[in-house]
Amino acid sequence: MVGPQYDLLANPLGAVRSTFDAAIATGSDPTSLNNRDWGVIDLFRNLLSDQSHLSQVPLLTPATVRYVKPYTLVRFRGMIQDMLGNEFYVGAFKDGSVWRTNKFTDFCQHSIPVGCSADTPIWERRLLYCVPVPGLNSWAEPSAEAVGNPSMDWTSEQREKRRRGDEESPSNMPVEGDEVEGSPNTKRMREGECTSPASQSHGAVPEIAGSSMSLLPGLNGNSSSCIVKVYDTPESELKLNDIFEFVGILTSDPELQEDNEDSDLSNGFGEDPLHHFPADKVPRLHCFIHRKLSVQDFLQNKPIIEPKPDLVKGIRESLLRHLSAVLGNDEVAAHFMLLHLLSKVEARVDALAVGKFSVNFTCFSKETASIGKQLNHAVKNLVPFTHCMPLTVQYLNTASLAPKKNYDTNRLETGVLQLAEGSHLIVDETQLKAGTLNSVGVENARLLKNVMELQKVEYDFKYYKMEMATDVQLLVLSEGKSNILPADVIVPIRPSATICLEAVAAEALEAWRWYLATVRQLPHSFESETQQVVESDLVAAIQADRSLNTQDLSRLVTMGRLMCLSFGETTLSLEHWQMTKELERLRRERLN
Amino acid sequence: MASDSTPSGFQQVVRPSSPDNSNSSPIANTYSSPGRRRRRQSITPSGTPQPNRSRFASSDATPTPSRHRRGGGIPSGRRGPATPTSTSEDFPMSSEGGDGYDMDDAGPTYVWGTNISVEDVNDAIQRFLKHFREKSASQGGDDDLDMDLDIEGKYEKLIKQVIELEGESIDVDARDVFDHDHELYSKMVRYPLEVLAIFDMVLMNMVTRMNPMFEKHVQTRIFNLKSSTSMRNLNPSDIERMVSMKGMIIRCSSIIPEIREAIFRCLVCGFCSDPVPVERGRIAEPTVCLREECQSRNSMTLVHNRCKFSDKQIVRLQETPDEIPEGGTPHTVSLLLHDKLVDTGKPGDRVEVTGIYRAMSVRVGPTQRTVKSLFKTYIDCLHIKKTSKSRMLVEDAMEVDNGQGRNPEEVLFDEEKVAKLKELSKQPDIYERLTKSLAPNIWELDDVKKGLLCQLFGGNALKLASGASFRGDINILLVGDPGTSKSQLLQYIHKLSPRGIYTSGRGSSAVGLTAYVAKDPETGETVLESGALVLSDRGICCIDEFDKMSDNARSMLHEVMEQQTVSIAKAGIIASLNARTSVLACANPSGSRYNPRLSVIDNIHLPPTLLSRFDLIYLMLDKADEQTDRRLAKHIVSLHYKDYENIEQDVLDISTLTDYVSYARKHIHPQLSDEAADELITGYVKIRGRGKFSGSSKKVITATPRQIESLLRLSEALARIRFSESVEKHDVVEAFRLLEVAMQQSAMDTRTGTIDMDLITTGVSASERMRRESLIQDTRNMIMEKMQIGGRSMRLLEILEELKNQSPGSEIHLNDLRSAVATLASEGFVSMAGDSVKRT
Repeated sequence: MVGPQYDLLANPLGAVRSTFDAAIATGSDPTSLNNRDWGVIDLFRNLLSDQSHLSQVPLLTPATVRYVKPYTLVRFRGMIQDMLGNEFYVGAFKDGSVWRTNKFTDFCQHSIPVGCSADTPIWERRLLYCVPVPGLNSWAEPSAEAVGNPSMDWTSEQREKRRRGDEESPSNMPVEGDEVEGSPNTKRMREGECTSPASQSHGAVPEIAGSSMSLLPGLNGNSSSCIVKVYDTPESELKLNDIFEFVGILTSDPELQEDNEDSDLSNGFGEDPLHHFPADKVPRLHCFIHRKLSVQDFLQNKPIIEPKPDLVKGIRESLLRHLSAVLGNDEVAAHFMLLHLLSKVEARVDALAVGKFSVNFTCFSKETASIGKQLNHAVKNLVPFTHCMPLTVQYLNTASLAPKKNYDTNRLETGVLQLAEGSHLIVDETQLKAGTLNSVGVENARLLKNVMELQKVEYDFKYYKMEMATDVQLLVLSEGKSNILPADVIVPIRPSATICLEAVAAEALEAWRWYLATVRQLPHSFESETQQVVESDLVAAIQADRSLNTQDLSRLVTMGRLMCLSFGETTLSLEHWQMTKELERLRRERLN
Repeated sequence: MASDSTPSGFQQVVRPSSPDNSNSSPIANTYSSPGRRRRRQSITPSGTPQPNRSRFASSDATPTPSRHRRGGGIPSGRRGPATPTSTSEDFPMSSEGGDGYDMDDAGPTYVWGTNISVEDVNDAIQRFLKHFREKSASQGGDDDLDMDLDIEGKYEKLIKQVIELEGESIDVDARDVFDHDHELYSKMVRYPLEVLAIFDMVLMNMVTRMNPMFEKHVQTRIFNLKSSTSMRNLNPSDIERMVSMKGMIIRCSSIIPEIREAIFRCLVCGFCSDPVPVERGRIAEPTVCLREECQSRNSMTLVHNRCKFSDKQIVRLQETPDEIPEGGTPHTVSLLLHDKLVDTGKPGDRVEVTGIYRAMSVRVGPTQRTVKSLFKTYIDCLHIKKTSKSRMLVEDAMEVDNGQGRNPEEVLFDEEKVAKLKELSKQPDIYERLTKSLAPNIWELDDVKKGLLCQLFGGNALKLASGASFRGDINILLVGDPGTSKSQLLQYIHKLSPRGIYTSGRGSSAVGLTAYVAKDPETGETVLESGALVLSDRGICCIDEFDKMSDNARSMLHEVMEQQTVSIAKAGIIASLNARTSVLACANPSGSRYNPRLSVIDNIHLPPTLLSRFDLIYLMLDKADEQTDRRLAKHIVSLHYKDYENIEQDVLDISTLTDYVSYARKHIHPQLSDEAADELITGYVKIRGRGKFSGSSKKVITATPRQIESLLRLSEALARIRFSESVEKHDVVEAFRLLEVAMQQSAMDTRTGTIDMDLITTGVSASERMRRESLIQDTRNMIMEKMQIGGRSMRLLEILEELKNQSPGSEIHLNDLRSAVATLASEGFVSMAGDSVKRT
C-alpha cells in the first residue's frame, strides 16, 4: 500500500494511515503507541536521506505557499521563535471496530466517541512557532530550483492522487481554495528588513499597542511564519532560536477556528496561543523529520572541498584585499575584521563566553561615513544573517530590543536581539547625539552591553528575566571609543585612500562565503610547546603593563586562535602567534 | 444523621437510596447534607465509563430541596466533556458502583474501572482520620482507643478546630497519609476523584458526629504530596491523577460567578420553579410552566437574584526560571480555583499547587456536539501554598530558638540526598573542595574564598537568658584594586546565598537599605517598607561600592551589623525589625589604587567604628608576582583549549553546593569542645601578647574581644563545613589562620610591620600615635627654646625648618606640624593666627 515514493510526497497521510494499519495488524496495541513511531518516520527518513528526493519536496516560502497543496509533504526552514507548549490530542480512536489515528493531522473526519478513555488514548505533541531566520540576506534565500519543483509538471498525476485523497479526506477541496485566497503573496519580510538603516529602524519598532499580529517586526499576517507540530522528540533537541529544516505535512483548516465562547477555560483570557494565528494566515506543519541547519546550509552552491591550506590561503588573501579595500586600504583594520568574522562563542565558563571577539572601529567622521555603509554592504554579502542597528537616542528610547512575554496573548514577542546563532550585528554609533535616555533607553543600553560582554540576552518574562545565551558577532562603528558598548578590541581606522570599489565577481563572493562558513567551524588545538610560549608571552605582557586584565589576555589568546583558523589550520603555530602579537602591537600603536 | 461511629453506622447513613428518606434530622436543610446526598445521587446503577467526569459541582452553597430530584439515573456529575465546571473541593461524582450502597447485602463495591473497594477506602480513611498521631508508631488496632483518651489525633483536633471556627476545609498533609497508610496514599494519588469523594464523606460524617448542629460543608484539601512534578513533565499519563507542582502565578482572571442552581419564574402566572441544578454544564430551562393550572409555554424566565452562584477563577501558572532548561521557554498551565481558593494568589506569587490534572476536549462550536481531537488541560486545584523565593531554605537555623515552633511545612531533604551530602562531608578534603567550587572561574584568592565560605555557613547565634545576644553572622569586607574580581565574587555569593540581596552602594540610600515608612496611597495608612537589609534577614546582603555610599547610609549599618536589628522611629511607628544579615561589602581604595604607604584607614576612608564590625577584612591587591602571573596565563590559555573541563571535574556544581550549605545551616549546630576552647584562649592571649614589646612602653592592641567572637564564629562555621557537631582544635587553628591572613593584610601597621588592632578600632596605629606625641614634644621644646612669651611670632614653615635642622633624620610634614601646633594651642601654650604662631 505504501507504494511508490511519489505517494509519500503527495499523500503523506496515506502513508501514515497505511503504516498505522499495518502496525495494528501486526498486533500492536494502539494505546501503547504513544510517543513512539510505528514506522512512518523511518519511511520518510529513508526516502529523504536521498538528496534528490529531498529537493523534490517543495520548500514553504511566501512565494510557494500559494500553490503548495495542503496535505502534501513540504519543507520549511526557519528559526524557532517561540514555543507554544504541548498539545494533547486523541492519538488513536476506534471508528466502529477500526482503529484510526490522529497523529500528523489537526482534526479528524470521523466523530470521536466521547468519553471512553480506554479507547481514546491521549497523546501529546509540541507546538513551535517558527519564523524565517531574522536578517536573512537575499543571497542566502533558497534559489528557485531549491524551493522544489513547482506543481506544474506533475499536476496530472497530482490530480489523480488528489481524487484518491479526496475520498479519504473530504475537506481537502475547500481547504485548498481557502488557502489560495487567504495567503496572497505580498512582499517578503526581509526586503524591508535590512536594506537600509532607516528602514531597519522603522521595521524594528513594533507597535506594541497594536494588534497581536505585529509579533515580529516587519512581519505581517501573511509572511511565511509557520506553526510546526513536533512529535516524539526529546525536548533538548529543539531549542529556542535554533534554525531548523522541518519536513512534514502541511495542513491548514480554517474550519477549526478557535471558538472561545464555548470553553470556560479560555473565557478568562485568550489562553490558546493558536488563536492568534489564524490557520489561513499561518500554515501548520506536522513534522516528520527535522534537521538543524548551520550557516553552511545557507550557501547556494556548496563547493564540496576540503579546506586545503593553500586553497584557503588564496581565498584568505583575496578576502583580506577586499576587506581592506572596503576599509579604505586599512590593512590592520581588515585583519581585525577578518578575525572578527571568524569568531564564535567556543565555550562558556561560568559567566564568561570564551571565543567571542567584538570589534569597535573608531575614528569615523563625516568623510569616512561612506566606509560604514560599504562595510555594512560587504558584511551582508559575506554572512547569511546580518543586522544593522543605527544607534540613536530616539532608537534606544523606543526600540524593543529584548523579547518580551506578553501574557495577554501568551506569546513571546520578539525583539531585535532575538537572533539566530551566528548572526552578525553592526551597531552604528556614529549617528548618536547627546540626549536623554528614558527608562526604556537605559534598559536597552544595558541589554546591548550584556550582549557585548556576556553574549547573553535577557528575555523579559515580566515577573522575572531569563538570560538566554546567544552567539552574535558584534561590530561597533563610532567616532571615539564607545563607552556604551565596550567591545573586546578598539581599532581606530586609518583609511588612506578614497575608496573606489570594483565590482566583486560572483565566484569570489561564493568562495569567501564558503571560506567564512567552513573555517569558522574548524576544531583547534594547542601544542604544549606553543602553549609554553604563549604563557610566557602573556606573563611578559602582564609584567610590562600592570593594567592588563584577564579579559585583555584572554582576548589575545582568542586572536591567536582565530588567526590560525583564518589560515585553515587547526593548531596554533608560533608563526601565527607572532603575527597575532604584531597585529596587536600595531593596534596599540594606533591607540596612543 | 447517624451518629454512630462505627463503619457500619456510616454505611447506614449512606444506604438509603431514596433521597426523601434522608435525614429527617434537624440538619435536613443544612449545607452539609446536600453534598452527601448528592453524592449518593451520583452513585448510579450504571457503570458507564466516564473519562471526563468533572468533580462534582459542589456543594457547599447549595440548599437541599432540589436535590431530591435524581437525574433519571444519570449521575449529575457526569457532564459534557466540555464543561470544566466543577467546583472546588470535592465530590467527584463518580464513585459509581454505588449501587452497593443501595443494597444492604452489598459485597465489596469497586470504583468503576479500578480495584478500589469503596468500603476499604472508606475504612482506611476513617482509620487515618481517627488514629493518625504525628509521632505515633502504632496505627490502627484497638490500642489506639486507649490512646484516644490521652492524646487526641492530629486530625480529630483539626476537625474540632474547624467546627469551632466554622471553617470550611481541612488541610490534610499527604505525607501523613503516606506515613499512615501507603496504600491509601497511592490510591488517592491515582484515583483522586473517587478517593476524595469518599474522604469528604467520611469527614462530614465525623463532623456531624462531633457536632450535629454543624451546618457547613467541610472539604478535604490535600497538600504536600511526596513527590512534586515539574510542569514540563506533565504528560497524558498524569491526567486524572493528583499532582503537585511549583510555579509562579502570571495571570488571574476576574472572579467568575458560576451558576449552580437556577430558579425560574413563570411570566404568566408568577410561579417559581424549584431550583434547577446545573447538569452537564448547562441548565435545563423549563419550556413549560410547571403549575398545572398555567402550563403556558416558553414563559419561564430566570430569576437572577435567587440563583445560586459559586466563585470560580482561572489562574495561569508558569514554571519558575530555575526549572527551565537551556534554550527553552517556560511552560504554563491553567489552574481552576473555586470558592475559598479564589484570590489566594496574585500574579508574581510563587506557589506550590496540589490538584488534579484534567483534560477537557475542545468542541468545535458552542452548539455543536462534535469535538476536536484536541484537549485542553488544566489543574483542578485542591490546595495552594505560597512558597518562598530564595534558593536556599529561608527557615534556617541561624536563629537561636529553633526546636520549638518549627514550621511543619518546611521542606525536608529526602534521605537519599542527605546521605549523599553526608558522604560528601566525610571526604577529608571537603574544605578544599568547597573552596574550589566557590566561584571556580575566579582565579586564586583561596583565602578570601575560604572566608566567604565561612560566611555562607555562618556561626551559631547565641541568646543569653539575660537577653544579650551574639550574632552568628560573619561580616566580610573586601577592599582592593579595580579589576580584582571583587564584584564577581559578590555576584556569585549573592546567587548562592539564602535571601541574598545585592545592592550597589552608590545607588542605595539609608532607607533603601534599612526600612522606611510610607503612606499607603489607597488607605492613607502608614506602612513599613523593608529595605535591603531587612529583606535579607538570615541571608547575605552584598553591598558593592561600599566606599561610594553616603555617610548617612553607612551609619545605618552600625546597628545592623552588631545588634542585627533595624530600629525605626518615625511617623507614629516605632519598630525594631530583625535584620540578621551577614554583610558582604566591597570597596575600592580611596585613591582608586591601594597606596601601600598609607594605612588601611587612609586607603579605605571608612569610619573605624564601622570597620571594626567586619570580622574579616581582605585586601585584594594586584601584586606583581611572576608566579601568580604565570598561573593566570596558564588558566587563560586552558580556558581556550578546553582543558577547563578537566579542571572543573572535582568541583561541586552550584545546586549541590547550595544543598550542602543549606543542610549544614539547618541541621548542624556545632559546640565548642574543651580542647578547642583552650586553644582559643591560648591563641587569643598569644595574639594580645604580641603587642607588648620588651623594653618598650608602647602598647599595641593586637586583638580585641570582638576578635574572639569573630574567631568563635569562624571556627563554628568551619566545623559546620565538615558537618561536625563539635568544634575541634584544628577548626580554631584554621580560624586563627584566616583571621591572621585577613589582619595581616588589613591591620598591618606599615611603619612597623606588626598587627595593630588600633588601626581598625581607632584608625590610628599605636606607632603613629607615638610619633605624633613625640612631634608635639619636640615642637614644644623648640618653641620653649626659640620664642619668648609675647615675643615675635614665627611662621609655621620656619618652625618646620628649625625642627628639621634639629633632627635631620626625621621626616616631618607640614600637616603633622600644624596639628601638633594646634594641640599645643589648645593647651594654651601658644596661640595661632593663620600661619603665624605666637607664644602666650
